[in-house]
Amino acid sequence: MAETMKQTVATMLSGIERYNPDNLPTLERYVEMQSKENTYDLEANLAVLKLYQFNPHSFNIEIACQILLKALTNLPHTDFILCKCLLTEKQLAADPINQIIYLADILEQCDFQLFWVRIRTTPELTQKISGFLDSIRKFVCHVVGITFQTIEKSHLIQLLGEIEEKTLQVWVKKYGWKMEGENLVFIGNQDENIKTKNISEKIDFDSVGHIMASCR
Amino acid sequence: MNNEEYEQNYEYNNYNEYEGHTGDPTLDAEFSRQQFKIPETVKNFLVYFRNNVNEGLVFELQSLYELSWPKLTEDYFEKRPWPEESEVAEIVDADPVFMILYKELYFRHIYARIQGGPTLEQRFNSFFNYCDLFNYILSASEPVPLELPDLWLWELIDEFVYQFQSFAQYRARLQKKTTEELEMLNSNNKVWNVLCVLNVLHSLVDKSNIKQQLEVYARGGDPDSVAGEFGSHSLYKMLGYFSLVGLLRLHSLLGDYYQAINVLENIEVHKKSQYAHIPACQISTSYYVGFAYMMMRRYSDAIRTFSSILLYIQRTKQLFASKTYQHDQINKQTDQMYHLLAICLVLHPQCIDESIQQTLREKSYHEKMYKMQYGDLQEFENSFVYACPKFLSPCPIPIGSVPDDYSKEAIVHQTQVFMDEVQQQKMLPTIRSYLKLYTTLPLNKLATFMAQNNRNDSQWDLDKETQTLLIHLLAFKHKMKNMVWSKGASGLEGKFQSGSELDFYIDNHMIHIADTKVAHRYGDFFIRKILKFEDINRKLHMIRI
Repeated sequence: MAETMKQTVATMLSGIERYNPDNLPTLERYVEMQSKENTYDLEANLAVLKLYQFNPHSFNIEIACQILLKALTNLPHTDFILCKCLLTEKQLAADPINQIIYLADILEQCDFQLFWVRIRTTPELTQKISGFLDSIRKFVCHVVGITFQTIEKSHLIQLLGEIEEKTLQVWVKKYGWKMEGENLVFIGNQDENIKTKNISEKIDFDSVGHIMASCR
Repeated sequence: MNNEEYEQNYEYNNYNEYEGHTGDPTLDAEFSRQQFKIPETVKNFLVYFRNNVNEGLVFELQSLYELSWPKLTEDYFEKRPWPEESEVAEIVDADPVFMILYKELYFRHIYARIQGGPTLEQRFNSFFNYCDLFNYILSASEPVPLELPDLWLWELIDEFVYQFQSFAQYRARLQKKTTEELEMLNSNNKVWNVLCVLNVLHSLVDKSNIKQQLEVYARGGDPDSVAGEFGSHSLYKMLGYFSLVGLLRLHSLLGDYYQAINVLENIEVHKKSQYAHIPACQISTSYYVGFAYMMMRRYSDAIRTFSSILLYIQRTKQLFASKTYQHDQINKQTDQMYHLLAICLVLHPQCIDESIQQTLREKSYHEKMYKMQYGDLQEFENSFVYACPKFLSPCPIPIGSVPDDYSKEAIVHQTQVFMDEVQQQKMLPTIRSYLKLYTTLPLNKLATFMAQNNRNDSQWDLDKETQTLLIHLLAFKHKMKNMVWSKGASGLEGKFQSGSELDFYIDNHMIHIADTKVAHRYGDFFIRKILKFEDINRKLHMIRI
């Protein structure tokens, strides 16, 4: 569904047509579709926010929330910032957008434990977005993947939102990590990518040829 | 053009309105006009100017535009507008195309130099004149027989966007408007409408096939093969190209950084190309591209963009020295870019070109960077506000709102978004400064350092501190791993990289740190010594004994 829609929408986004408010209902339906079917189209969503920017009276907070939450599912990309910049201070302060802003803030600071606590107290906030929690787990795995060589199993479980042992196995397998003994998870060899760089000046003959020639 | 300066002049002059003038700029203008007779030199100039426009003598036009016009402005129109439309029409036989071009310059001069800035009526008329100009160029069934120097075309598009920006700011300052002005604004919502401005720029892009041309050019082909009837004419081609840069600026002013970068598809900002020969355009492009990257947390890309253009400015500085009005603008934008570069380097330390680094060590930049490194949020904000574009809200304030000044709302918002990001990264410099001292460091040892640093009492719990530290370390890795462009037509593309000079990973309870060590440079030293030696040698040869 969303795939076929993508084609239709693409023509609505080209050139000056992007600013045509008549396209708004279609684009908004497309946002709902993305939430339901767990697909994502940043460019189309930004076009919706742009239409809100140009036509403030058409602002639909319901849709704006979905766009912001969808942007969070695409972390570590900075889509959320792009969306924020197109809204106004007043819109960001409105409930429940302010709650989403708070979620984004703690996610950006990687305070995942706090995030899961927060999600448990307000589950209805993100319910409309299918696959939301797993998208966040993907982001957690991304951060873990770039930070750790080995991590304590209990810590990893916390970061992923107190998941069950069986579920943990699925994530570990998905990212090619390995269980090490009872309470460690081996993430990968980091010392290959992260090593001290030495920058030294390399001067080749071509670049000194000129000055040498002038010194005869 | 000297846009930011204009804005400042304008605001400054607003205060002057309260001292001594009639308060009504139209009356003032009327008064000075009665006393003023157009000098013969100016009359001759206008006729000669018109003839050259009609004959399409681009080289001559270039000198008329770049030298004679500013010179005459200085001599006769320093503080007064150029002659009225009706007076000039008499002199140039009401030549329609020349009159449009003349009026464009006439209004531009009013925006730049006239006390109190343009009146509402002048703003409207300038807009209508742009409509006439673009209608003439765009609605023709075949390319119009008009050729103008590229610098003029660039400044025309840049000014068009500037006047839109200026209008949006003006419209948002409700507190200074009379009832008549408000009524006139409300009943003319189409004037300087954002859609209209977008429409003009998009139409110029489409008409010139510039996107297709750039695509073919990027692949090494001949752009003329896809240029079409209009796009092969220099006028259309360059207007198309400059409109892309105009769109970049417009999108940036609206906070739409995605579209800002997107619109430059197939333009490699740092590469020399047949389109990139107007320094002011190049500098403006890099400023907005770098800024958009910075907002998107693509610090490596921002740093690359800024250092590349700043290096170019450093090397070609003498070129700008002669033309003062451009020079002012370029100086201002250069200073803004050094500020932005300083911000990026504090957030994302990395090696840059030595001569740029040298400039950052000098002047006030050094102190500002130092303050930011030590978490002075106010300094971040000050530098940002000074260096950012003049953001605007695209829509008029709803009728019946409290008569207040709404012109700062957009800038406050963008500043807030940026400061949220800075706030999220607040702990990183402290962590970085500790990590720099070690190659391996146990988690709980660093946690102890941090706790001792943050708290004066000894009432803290190591486990808790380690938990908090781990969160900060994850954030460090997350914030320092960003999209970096390396190839591809769109500047939005890229791969996740950690480009900052310090990196680390955690192996269970141990942090392993990788730093960047820069070996002492000797090339520069030797080149200087060689040149000095040669100089001495030459002098010795000159001595006759």
